[in-house]
Amino acid sequence: MRKKIILILILIFSIGLNPIEATPQKQRVYDYANLLESSEIEELEAMAEKYSIKRETDFVILTTDNTNGKDVVKYMEDFYDNMALGYNKPHGNTAIITIDMQHREVYLAGFYKAETYLSDYRLDLIRDKITPYLSNGDYYKAFSKFIKLGYKYMGMEPNVDPDNILFNLWFQIVVSLVIAGIIVGAMAYNSGGRVTVSQGTYMDFSNSKVINRRDNYLRTSVTKTRKPSNNNKSSGGGFGGGGGGGTTSGGHSHSGSRGSF
Amino acid sequence: MVIHYKCPNCGGDMAYDTESGKLYCDSCGREDNIENFPEENIQAYFSEEDGKEYHCKNCGAVIMTDKDTTATTCSFCGAGVVLGDRLSGKMAPAKVIPFKISKEEAMKAFKSWARNGLLTPKGFMTADRIKNITGIYVPFWLYDLNSRVRVNATCTKVRTYTRGDYIYTETRYYDVYRDINLDYVKLPVDASEKMNDELMDKLEPYNYRELKEFKTPYLAGYIAEKYNYDEKELLPRAKSKIEQYIHSYIDSTITGYSTVRYNSKNIDTRKVNAYYTLLPVWMVYYDYDRKEHTFAMNGQTGKVVGTPPISYGKVAAWFSGIAGGVFVFLKIIALAMGGGLW
Repeated sequence: MRKKIILILILIFSIGLNPIEATPQKQRVYDYANLLESSEIEELEAMAEKYSIKRETDFVILTTDNTNGKDVVKYMEDFYDNMALGYNKPHGNTAIITIDMQHREVYLAGFYKAETYLSDYRLDLIRDKITPYLSNGDYYKAFSKFIKLGYKYMGMEPNVDPDNILFNLWFQIVVSLVIAGIIVGAMAYNSGGRVTVSQGTYMDFSNSKVINRRDNYLRTSVTKTRKPSNNNKSSGGGFGGGGGGGTTSGGHSHSGSRGSF
Repeated sequence: MVIHYKCPNCGGDMAYDTESGKLYCDSCGREDNIENFPEENIQAYFSEEDGKEYHCKNCGAVIMTDKDTTATTCSFCGAGVVLGDRLSGKMAPAKVIPFKISKEEAMKAFKSWARNGLLTPKGFMTADRIKNITGIYVPFWLYDLNSRVRVNATCTKVRTYTRGDYIYTETRYYDVYRDINLDYVKLPVDASEKMNDELMDKLEPYNYRELKEFKTPYLAGYIAEKYNYDEKELLPRAKSKIEQYIHSYIDSTITGYSTVRYNSKNIDTRKVNAYYTLLPVWMVYYDYDRKEHTFAMNGQTGKVVGTPPISYGKVAAWFSGIAGGVFVFLKIIALAMGGGLW
């Protein structure tokens, strides 16, 4: 009973100490192409806010079905300049995904902190992973994956490859289990005593030797194969694309990855 | 024929003592060298119904033996007796390694071995549940073998190099021949039907520096068995024991090649000598969880073998401990490489 009272007291206190601030909600999802339902927008807003705070970078989603004749990159750059996006300041840290439904193109960009942590290469990786969802019309899934992957990659130092197998959770789990299995298996196998005799135990070394040996050269055969050419760097998989970053009219440089879906 | 060692001092029963390596009298403490024990104190009795029944000449009771026993203790008065007629003629052992570990030491060593088992259940061996501990001289054949090996192989050396737009692979073929002589000395093979071969193999090695000419007093106070298989019958098993050694020796003589393909391996193994030898083994029978577990201990070196029960709890604990540890380790590496925690 006493414990319960203490618990309730603590609850009341903690609420009293952290009054829920009525900060005006910052908009991060701009769904001009109406790809999402209102409940999905709400969820994405909540998710974007949560991860934006953790990485001090706004994750922004922008969709359009009319770019007014602009290229998707230019459209995004102008949007960034006009809306003064940014977590820490106007025109600040932002990772933005732009969907152009008119030309069925997708463009990922990172500004400031996101430009460092989400390099062209990393944005390519993210785009490769979400393009299948875009092609299927599963926009909600694609956007939430964009936020989560962006968050994850921004937790890694800029110079490491996020696809390194050592960072893969499943790889880590499987390796741990396999190593434990091998060690415990060996322990169980050896619990009944090990064989401690080997080749040398009973051998009489003074009389055991090679009496006669012969190594005769017979013939030589040579085969040749053409050197594989090194200039087939693939990018964007089967969806085409690529294209790096740039600088907005307002003078803000950004990284980028472009593709169609 | 029953051989019984009487103390020249007091007439008590003498038995082999592991510590001094001498015959020892329990009642007066007299010790006697085995080499010069007075002949008149070795009491040998011949009975008419030899081969059927042996009588203890100490107390007159019938000595309980089965057909393979060559030494035992009288179950009524405890006197160590040796059944001499089962150790003569073709059945006479050539060599023996005497016990070096006494019964008390063996008990203690068994218990600590079980306690130190990383996967054995906690209660195992803490309670005094050792059902039976017996010192047995197990019959072995020690083989001296000579193997003449002739191998023929085709080997290759592979070299790759680049010239212009092409990668060249150059393979040089060699005809390789080896004529090898291999001698193996005193390879032990268990000659008792009752003993588990795998268990006996794991007891090796024995230290042959303590190999002695066989004398019956070494058996006083212990159980001894006679062989069930002679040296001819066990030769194939001796050969199979060294087969793996021979193959790896052959491999070790052919080096410097990229690939080795054997065309023929002619292995001719012959027996040079075989010595009928008694080797000391402590056998322990232990009940745990309604199951009997059998262990054997090398009576000379103290090495223990056998299948202890395995605790699933401990297996799970080790498994999760190691898996968790490796996982944390990988996470730390990933973090150190700048990969982030998740």
